[in-house]
Amino acid sequence: MSSKAATLVERIRTRLKDVIDPELGRDVVSLGLIYEVDATDAGVVHISMTTTTIGCPAAVFLVGAVRFATASVTDVKHVEVHLTHEPRWTPEMMSV
Amino acid sequence: MAGASISRWTMSYFAASLVFLVVGQALLAGGFGYPVLPVEAPETLVIVHSLAVGWLALLFCGALLQFVPVLAAAPLFLPGLAAPALVLLVIGLALLNCGFLNLAGYVDHGLVLLPIGAALLATGFGLIVTMIGGTLARTGSLSLPARFVALGLLALTAAAGLGVAFALELSGLVDVETLHGLLPAGVSLHAYFGMVGWMSVSAFGVSYRLLTMFLLSPETERATTCSALALVVLSVAVASITLMALALGSSRAEPVYLPFVLAAGAGLIFGYDVLTIFRARKRKALELNSITSALAVAFLMLAILLYLLLLFTGQIEDRIGALVYLVCFGWLSLLGLGQLYKIVAFLTWLECYGPVLGRTPVPRVQELVCDGRASNWFYLYTAAVCVAVVALLLEGSFVFRGAVLAQTVAVIGLTVEFVRTRRLFYVSVQDSKLDAQRHPSLFLPNSIERS
Repeated sequence: MSSKAATLVERIRTRLKDVIDPELGRDVVSLGLIYEVDATDAGVVHISMTTTTIGCPAAVFLVGAVRFATASVTDVKHVEVHLTHEPRWTPEMMSV
Repeated sequence: MAGASISRWTMSYFAASLVFLVVGQALLAGGFGYPVLPVEAPETLVIVHSLAVGWLALLFCGALLQFVPVLAAAPLFLPGLAAPALVLLVIGLALLNCGFLNLAGYVDHGLVLLPIGAALLATGFGLIVTMIGGTLARTGSLSLPARFVALGLLALTAAAGLGVAFALELSGLVDVETLHGLLPAGVSLHAYFGMVGWMSVSAFGVSYRLLTMFLLSPETERATTCSALALVVLSVAVASITLMALALGSSRAEPVYLPFVLAAGAGLIFGYDVLTIFRARKRKALELNSITSALAVAFLMLAILLYLLLLFTGQIEDRIGALVYLVCFGWLSLLGLGQLYKIVAFLTWLECYGPVLGRTPVPRVQELVCDGRASNWFYLYTAAVCVAVVALLLEGSFVFRGAVLAQTVAVIGLTVEFVRTRRLFYVSVQDSKLDAQRHPSLFLPNSIERS
């Protein structure tokens, strides 16, 4: 990954700290819900994320929030958010 | 997206169930049925069915319609059946109660309403079983919590079927030898399939999943949970075999005990598992719904100990009212009210703020409720249940009615809190900029925007 892309990923991660899980009251990054953020120099971003439980009714809103927040970051041209449950989220994935 | 569904009619089920709870408790407090009248009096049957079907069954149906898609990670099967099922259940219960009032001499020419009401109830429950069973069938292999819920559906079917049989027998419209032989063993089976086989077993399954979710405990398949499942499977199997024997003409005068004892064993293991889940939690600060769940499980443990004590001292038939009250209000109702407190806030948040999450600042789910006010009502309710059970054990009718009155006040207080949550009463002005457009309906379905 180029330094430009790495910087973009870092800015996206910072922006995603504003997206709060409504039930737990913590941001999706510190909860460990964002598995991977990948970006190209052209601003194409791919995010892999999960939810605390499979079938979470709020999943569609969390994915939408992550997509919207990422798209609002300068230099981001295109965003794809992929919801996965592999691996399954566990409480150990939260940062202290 | 898998499982991202919101049950549109769940709030309507909850609203109807709370109405029946308040009415049922008010009748108890007013001395309409037991303990002023005998357990088997038609007036008592009105109260029992208002609370068991009107309150608990509607509450469980509404909660399962919302929660089973989460358990199965699949959309609800035939969601369009939710509204007709609710209508059938409410009308069926009203007609059944009219039939009981006829038996009590309050109205004339109403006996035919008993089987009609029971048939409508059975049809309504049939739709519920179709929706929930169909949703569970959509998943490849059932998780342990889902297996509890699936087993509960079998028990619900048996309870509804027995109800229709009793209604036909009581109405006198048919004269079938098999129906005459269903009493009294059939009554204990009817209660078993409803309160234990369906509600308690489903509550076990739902609690295993919800408690790990809310407390952030590891979601592992414990050997103890497998043992509890094996015991409840055995319990429902024994009860089903006993029912089939009765249906085939076996005469049995005494109530059945073995299914209850097996379920009691499962309940004790469940209590141990809940303790393990609480101890392993990552979320150290307990929310009010978790505290009330713990209290409800403590009531379940008390109920099991009381049951075993009464069984071995031969007092079960004399003290059955206190035991049923403890199970109904201490275990099932407190668990239900505690989860209602959480689910109402969560559904309200999803309806109101879910579509704008990430686009604008939104409150957390916890900011839609006021724990301080609600906890007072929960503690009043809990204390009232304790007093009511002791009063029933000591046969203090006046104290009992006073305790039920306090319990009714507590439930009305909690209902006000639920309404305030729906009305976004506790959301700060800064967070409520969107309210004018997104204010959710009190209990009728809202259309949910998807992002």
